[in-house]
Amino acid sequence: MKQVRTRSMFVFVLVLLFFAGIIYFTVNICINADSWVQHSYNGHTSGSGGLEKAGKIFDRNGVVLAQTVDGSRIYNEDYDTRLSTLHVVGDNSLNISTAVQSVYRSELTGFSYIWGLEMPQSFRGGNNLTLTIDSDACKTAYNALGGMNGAVVVMNYKTGEILCSVSCKTYDPQNPPELTEENESEYDGAYLNHVLSSSYTPGSIFKIVTAAAALENMPDIDSRTFECNGSAIIGGEEVTCMAHHGTINLDDGLAQSCNIVFAQLAYELGRDKMTAAANELGVNSSYDIGHAPTVKGQYDVKNASDNDLAWSGIGQYTDLTNPMQMCILMSAIANGGNRAEPYYVQSISGSDYSPFTGTEQSGKAMLKSSTAQKLNDMMRYTVSSNYGDYMFGGNLTVCAKTGTAEVKEGESNDAWIVGFTRDEDVPLAFAVVVEDGNFGLTTAGPVASAAIQACAQTLRN
Amino acid sequence: MDEFLQSLNIQVITDIAIVALRILIPLLGIIVVFQCYSSMRRQRRDEKPLIMLENTATGEVLPVLCWENSIGRANRNDIVIADDLAVSREHCVILRRKEGWFISDTGSKTGTFVNGEQTQGRVPIFINDEIKIGKDTFILKRAQDYTITNRSWFIKKEGSKEGIAPFALMMLISIFTLFMAAEACLSIEANDFQPLVVYAAFMAVAWIFYIVSTKVFKRVGFELEGLALFLTGIGVMLSVRQGLHQTYVQIIACAIGMAFFCFMIKFLQNPDRVNKWRLAIMIIAVGFLAVNIVFGTIRGGAANWIMIGGVSIQPSEFVKIAYIFVGASALDQLQTKKNFIVFIIFSAICIGALFIMSDFGTALIFFGTFIMISIVRSGDYKTVVVSIVGAIFGGLLILRFKPYIADRFSGWGKAFENSDNSLGYQTARVLTYAASGGLFGCGLGNGYLKYVGASESDLVFGLVCEELGLIVALTIAVSIGGLFFYARAITTKSRSTFYSISACCAAGLLVLQSSLNIFGATDILPLTGVTLPFISVGGSSMIACWGLLAFIKAADERTYSIKKR
Repeated sequence: MKQVRTRSMFVFVLVLLFFAGIIYFTVNICINADSWVQHSYNGHTSGSGGLEKAGKIFDRNGVVLAQTVDGSRIYNEDYDTRLSTLHVVGDNSLNISTAVQSVYRSELTGFSYIWGLEMPQSFRGGNNLTLTIDSDACKTAYNALGGMNGAVVVMNYKTGEILCSVSCKTYDPQNPPELTEENESEYDGAYLNHVLSSSYTPGSIFKIVTAAAALENMPDIDSRTFECNGSAIIGGEEVTCMAHHGTINLDDGLAQSCNIVFAQLAYELGRDKMTAAANELGVNSSYDIGHAPTVKGQYDVKNASDNDLAWSGIGQYTDLTNPMQMCILMSAIANGGNRAEPYYVQSISGSDYSPFTGTEQSGKAMLKSSTAQKLNDMMRYTVSSNYGDYMFGGNLTVCAKTGTAEVKEGESNDAWIVGFTRDEDVPLAFAVVVEDGNFGLTTAGPVASAAIQACAQTLRN
Repeated sequence: MDEFLQSLNIQVITDIAIVALRILIPLLGIIVVFQCYSSMRRQRRDEKPLIMLENTATGEVLPVLCWENSIGRANRNDIVIADDLAVSREHCVILRRKEGWFISDTGSKTGTFVNGEQTQGRVPIFINDEIKIGKDTFILKRAQDYTITNRSWFIKKEGSKEGIAPFALMMLISIFTLFMAAEACLSIEANDFQPLVVYAAFMAVAWIFYIVSTKVFKRVGFELEGLALFLTGIGVMLSVRQGLHQTYVQIIACAIGMAFFCFMIKFLQNPDRVNKWRLAIMIIAVGFLAVNIVFGTIRGGAANWIMIGGVSIQPSEFVKIAYIFVGASALDQLQTKKNFIVFIIFSAICIGALFIMSDFGTALIFFGTFIMISIVRSGDYKTVVVSIVGAIFGGLLILRFKPYIADRFSGWGKAFENSDNSLGYQTARVLTYAASGGLFGCGLGNGYLKYVGASESDLVFGLVCEELGLIVALTIAVSIGGLFFYARAITTKSRSTFYSISACCAAGLLVLQSSLNIFGATDILPLTGVTLPFISVGGSSMIACWGLLAFIKAADERTYSIKKR
C-alpha cells in the first residue's frame, strides 16, 4: 500500500500543474480583463450598452464632445463638430477601434474587473476624459476637406499633443448609418481613422526619406548635380519627370520635386541603404498612440528590379506610408532629429493616467541632428522658393513637401502635403492626405493651411 | 414627484438585492466546499487490522498496518525483511478480507510456507500460524495498539472539531442552489419562475438521494456526494436560461448517475469479486466501442454518439469507468506481470477505437489516465516512456492526416487575432465574456456566451466566469482538484490497493478532464472539446462522473463499515 502512495506522487504533480494553470489564468484575467472586454462583438458593451453611466469627453478648451444624459449618449450639438471629431471620440458601438470611446472605454465607464460589466446601474460611475484636440480646428479642417475623403493630422511637436485629427469618410455618431448592401460602398472606410489606420502611396513626399538616406550615406551629396531631360533610363528602364529641369542639385531637386534626382539617388544607394533609411525613419514600423497602434507603412524592395528601386525612391512602386507616421517624421525633422510622442488624451479624472510612459517626453532620436537640420532647411527652401509663404496665411514660417501619388495609371491621385512650422510659439507638425485629389499642392495644400492656421490661433490665444 | 421617488426606490432596492445575491452566491459556494473538505480532513478512528508478525528467532515484532501489505527485502514494501537474501524483493502479500486473513506468494524465489507447507495462491492464515519467509519464521499474533505512521498532511490531527453533519451540508447546498435559482429568476431577458420549478425538481432528486444514502444504506459521511451535488446544481442552474429541455435531461441524468453511484459502491464492496468480473467488463467495454464505431453519428467532428430509442448516448464516457476497473487491482495480483499486460492491451484497444471515432479529446484523457495508472500500479517507467514516445508519434500522425487538428494548434494562443474565424471564435468569446463577468458574475441568464455554440459543454467554464464570476469558477476548480488530495490521503487506509489505485486515478482523470476543458476554453491549451465534470450539460458525462466518484467513495474504509448505534 505504501508503494501506491509513493507512486501516486506522479498524479500529485499533475494536479499541482492543474492548480498552476488555474493560477496562471487568474493572474491573466485580472491583468488583462480591461483589454479582453474591449471587442466589438462583446454583447455587454454593444449598442448604447455600457455607456449609460460613462463620463464626459472634453476637447482641450473644455468643449463637451460627448456626455451621457439620462442614460443616453449625447454628442456635441454642432453637426460639423460631431462629424469632424467622430474618429477621435468614437460612437456608441466599438466600430472605430482606435477611438477613445473604444480604447478608453473602461476608464470612461469606470470598468473594474471586480464588478464586471453588468453591475446594476445604481452602482456605476464613470470618469471624464480631456482630449488634446481642438474641436474648432477639427471642424475647420473638416470643412476645408469639403466632402473629399482623406486624413488631416496636426500636432505640437514639442509636446506631442495632437491638436487636430480628422478622417473622412465620416458619419454622425448621434445618428449612425445602418450599413446595408446598398450603402456599403458609400461608407467605405468610415469605420477607420485614416490618420492611424490607413496607409497610402506617398508619392513625392517620400523624397524626404530618400534625401535623408543620401545625406547620411553620400558625403559629396552637396556638390552633386543631376541632369533632368524630362525622363531618364535608370536601372534599365525609363523614369519620367513632370518637367524638364536641366542641370539640378539636391536642394532644387526637392524644391521642384524632380523625379530624376531621387530615382537616381535611390538606384545609387541600393536596396540595403534605402531599406535601412526607411526603417530608421519608421516607415515599416507601427507606433502606439495612447493604446491605439498605427498601421505600418511599407518599404519593401527585396524583389524589386533596378528600375523598381529607382521608382521606390520617389514614393511609387509598392511604397506605403501612414499620415500619423509621416507627422511623426516631420516632428523629428523639426526637433533636430528627436521625434515627438503624439497622444490624444490629456487627462482622465479619478485616475493616475499620464500621457507619457517614462522618459519618452523628450523624444526618441530618429535622425542625426545634422541631417535633420539639412532636411529642415531644404523643406523651408521648398516653401520659400516654390510654394510661397502666402499659401499658409503669411504669419507662419512653414517648411513642407507635397506629393502626388499615382495609385493606378489613368485614375485620380492621392494628394499629400507634410511639413511643420518653425515658429517657437506655434510648433506644429502636420500631415494631410486627400484621396482622389488632383495635385498635392492644390488639393492637400489648402486643407493643411486651414488646419494649421486654426491650430496656430488656438495656441496663440 | 412622490411617484418618481417611489419608482427610484424600487429600482435601487432591486439593484441592492441583485448585488447581495451576487456576493452571497460565491460566499456560500466557498463555505460549501470548505465544509466538505474540512469534514473529509477530520481525523477519525480507523478500523485497524489488528495483527502482527513475531520473529521466532529474534523476538522482533513486525506490525501489520494496512489491509493489504507487501512483504519483501526492498525498502518500498509495507513490511521490510532486510538483510536476508533468501527473501525476494517482493516476496508475498498479507491481506485481510471479510473472511479473515490471507497470505499470497507473489512469485518469490524461495517460496512462502504456512505451518511447513508451501503456499499456492491465496491461503488463509490464523492466529498462531507459523509463516516461513526466507530463512526466518514468524508467528501471527494479535496486536494491541500501534503508532500511526504515514499520516498525510491532508488529514487533520486527532481531537479536532467535528465535521459538518450531512443534514447541515445538504441544507447549505439547498440554500446555495436556491440563491442561484433566485438570481436566474431576476435575469434581464426573462422574468418568470421557471428556475424555481427546476430548482424544486433538482432538490427533490437531491434530497431523495440524501435520504436513501443516510437512512437506507446508513452511510456515514456525505462530503463527496455533497461536492457532486454542489457542482451539479451549478450546471443545472447555468443551463436553465439556455434551454429547459436540456436542463431536465441533466436532472434526470443526475438521478440515473446517483443510482449508478449506489450500484457501483455495492458492486465494489468485494475487490475479489470485481477481479472475477474484470474480463467481462473489458469485453463489454470493447463491445460498446465497437457498436459506437459501427453505428456512431458524427457531432462536432467526432463520431462518438449512438442513438438508442431516441436517446443519444456517448459510450466512451462509460468506458472510462471500465478503464479504471481494469486498471486497478488488489496488491497480490498487482505484482504479477500478466495482469499489467492485459491492461496495456485493453488501453491500446480503447485509445485506438477513440482515434477511429476521431474523438481525440477523450483519447487524450484515456492516454493520460493510462500513464497515471501505469505509474501508480507498477512504477514501471520504461512502459511509460515507450507509451509517451508512441503517443507523440500518434500525435504527429493526427496532425498529418487531420488538418483541422493542426489548425487548432495554429490558432492556439492567438484567440483575439482569430476572433472572426473558426480558429479563435469560441476562445476569444470565452475570454471576453469571462472578463466581462468580473469576480461576482453578471448574473445567471444575463450572459452572452450562452449564444456561442458548445457554451453549455466545452466552453462552460467561460459561462461560469461570465454569469457566476471568477470566485465561483475558482471554487469549482479547487473542489475538483481537491478530490485527488483526498483520494491520496486515504491510500494507505483503503481496504485494498484496488480502491486506492482506482480512487487516485479516477480523481486524476477528473482533474485531467477539467484541465483540458478549462485550459482549452481559455486558450491556455488547444481546444479539445471535452466536458467539465458534473457541470457541463451532457447525460452520459454526468452518469460517468457519478460512476468515477464511486471509486473515490469506495476507497474510504468507512463506506463499508456498519454504522454503530
